[in-house]
Amino acid sequence: MAGIAGSASGVCFACGEPVGATDSFCETCGAELAPLSVSDGQSGGPRACESCPSSRISADGYCQACGRKARSGRDHQEVDLGMVAGVTDRGLRHHRNEDAMALATADTATGPAVVAVVCDGVSSSSHPDEASLAAVRTAARVLLAAVRKGADLLAASPVAVRAAAEAVARLAGPPGDPPAATFVSAVVAGEAATVCWLGDSRAYWLAAGPGSAAQQLTRDDSVAEEMVAAGLLSEADALASAQGHVLTRWIGADLSDPAPHVVRFEPPGPGALLLCSDGLWNYQPEAAKLAELALPAALTDPLGAVRTLVSFALDAGGMDNVTAVLALFPPAPPGPLPVPAGLT
Amino acid sequence: MSQSQPDFTMDIYQNEYLPGGGRDVNAVVTVATAGTAAAAPAAETNSAEVIIIDCSGSMGAPQSKIAEARAATAAAVDVIRDGVAFAVIAGTKEAKAIFPEGGSLALADPQTRESAKKAVAGLRPGGGTAIGQWLRLAHQMFTSHPAQLRHAILLTDGKDQDETSDELGTAINLCEGVFSCDCRGVGTDWEVAELRRISTALLGTVDIVPDPAGLATDFSAMMVAAMGKQVADVSLRIWTPQHASTQFVKQVTPAVEDLTGRRVQSGPQIGDYPTGAWGTGESRDYHLCVQVAAPGAVGQEMLAARVSLVTASPSGPEVLGQGLVRAIWTDDEALSTRINKQVAHFTGQAELAQVIQEGLEARKQGDEDTATAKLGRAVALAQQSGNEDTAKLLAKVVNVVDAATGTVQLKKKVEDADEMALDTRSTKTVRTKK
Repeated sequence: MAGIAGSASGVCFACGEPVGATDSFCETCGAELAPLSVSDGQSGGPRACESCPSSRISADGYCQACGRKARSGRDHQEVDLGMVAGVTDRGLRHHRNEDAMALATADTATGPAVVAVVCDGVSSSSHPDEASLAAVRTAARVLLAAVRKGADLLAASPVAVRAAAEAVARLAGPPGDPPAATFVSAVVAGEAATVCWLGDSRAYWLAAGPGSAAQQLTRDDSVAEEMVAAGLLSEADALASAQGHVLTRWIGADLSDPAPHVVRFEPPGPGALLLCSDGLWNYQPEAAKLAELALPAALTDPLGAVRTLVSFALDAGGMDNVTAVLALFPPAPPGPLPVPAGLT
Repeated sequence: MSQSQPDFTMDIYQNEYLPGGGRDVNAVVTVATAGTAAAAPAAETNSAEVIIIDCSGSMGAPQSKIAEARAATAAAVDVIRDGVAFAVIAGTKEAKAIFPEGGSLALADPQTRESAKKAVAGLRPGGGTAIGQWLRLAHQMFTSHPAQLRHAILLTDGKDQDETSDELGTAINLCEGVFSCDCRGVGTDWEVAELRRISTALLGTVDIVPDPAGLATDFSAMMVAAMGKQVADVSLRIWTPQHASTQFVKQVTPAVEDLTGRRVQSGPQIGDYPTGAWGTGESRDYHLCVQVAAPGAVGQEMLAARVSLVTASPSGPEVLGQGLVRAIWTDDEALSTRINKQVAHFTGQAELAQVIQEGLEARKQGDEDTATAKLGRAVALAQQSGNEDTAKLLAKVVNVVDAATGTVQLKKKVEDADEMALDTRSTKTVRTKK
């Protein structure tokens, strides 16, 4: 599990010298105070066998009793940064996790902020796992720098997508299927969330209180979405159709100028922003139902709520890689359980 | 012992994708050593050679047999390098150490080689045949000396008629793992199955030398190959998951040898299969089939076998190479139905050896239909796989009507030597056509 290397204690984690509350880098040693947490497989997952009682796992990642490949590296990763948490999982039917996520928090002039990016590598392209990882890492860096500077996030988000697309294009090997991935990012800072996307990874608003409805913030760049928009098919029929999941936009070397969608969303009250790959929403596309699954736990234990969402997708079949990220709104470390009104 | 050993490489060829419910995992393991053959000879003090010559009465009929055997032994002695421990045994109903006398080994130098050749020149035919006795004396000689690379050449011209099959079996068991033995039959009065039994157990080759005049060249070649060996007792060590069963382990190049029954348990879930001694510039293939206890769910991956190459060293087993045999379950039929080319090829080569032996046996029993079917299948397999040497040998036993479909007729008259050559060489394989 990635830890939080922050400046909460007032001293640099690397050199121990005092640092300012809103500093991004240590003025003494230059260490990045709140670096990205990326699902790059470097931080370990569970190191015990899931198929038998053995806990002896060989250096190359197989159970030494039953031979099953132990989940490790990118197969299952969890990141908990307090006000934002994410889980990505290989699922049950794929032998590799081609989803990736990058999370970060920042202390800004307007208060705490969250950056989150989720990408889903396109399986039919080459190196989809490398494409998604390069994309989340690059885009999150750009967004983190922008939010630290207090830059215009509506303008910064497409810049981050372009940088991610260039990083993916650089992976392109011999001609054939160039690497490609979907993209969804959110920056939660101050009063608003800035959401940017390409493809069919989604963002949802999950409202905590009454008087505010859960809603989907993104519209897929997919054939299904276009058929629904054109009034040709119902959403359920469109998604079930053979071409339903075919993407109409993505980031990749074969799409030189991706035009991402950007929206600024001002939540009407407290709640959580959910970013996810289609491995989750294929099993539950309804915003209200997703909110039922994640809330109210998300408000006090974002990681626990994300685990619940991912487990839901795995229990429902786990046909695809699953990634879910929950970011609290307003962006602040999770508090104690709110006391129900009737008990005060 | 100061010589460095050759570098080993191990490659694994397999289709790791299995259909849902699939349990059999096949792989071809290619083991090779760097360098050119016999480029770097072993430290002389580590090698021992024993030449066993049949001196039964039949070796005098015709007289050329014993004469050529003497010449061949002398030629082989000439190839033995200085410092190699060696001996010559004359075999009849008993075994006699003719050089050095007394049942030990002599160190090769110009003088001992001359003395040995002089003793060999005095060999006279007379008496019976008890091959088990010959092996026992060789065993006694080898174990009297610390050399680890132990190799014997055994020549006979007849059946093992002066002892029981069990007596021979006991002697073979005694020698297994102690030394390797290349067996040669001269003429056509010996039993292929009998010599194959010895050569298989003792990790050697078996072949026919129909004309005694060919013996000297053959003996020299065997001795040159033996002198090129540098690493003794190399084993394939195979780890398998709990409750998995190793269906078979076969050497498939240069010849088919089933090693399945040779397994020695060396730890929990680990078995060792002996491959014998290795020199530089060698390459052998092994076909491994593991059946896992329960198929994984689609998308799961498991390790079906971890294959390593180990040799004994003063500090314990030394690992010379390692590879993984994996299984990934998929519902993509395009992946799971793809048969690995190497696995398919060597499955065919193993079947080729089997149908030849079964076909010749049926022919011997007078079952012409079975013989025709089996040998026809062999012709088709040899043609498909480009095994030209075997195709040529088959053509001496059957008339080939159509090689592609394996349509053949049994020849009415077949030379014994041709039939025995086909039998002994049926296990010789070729690699895939490029």
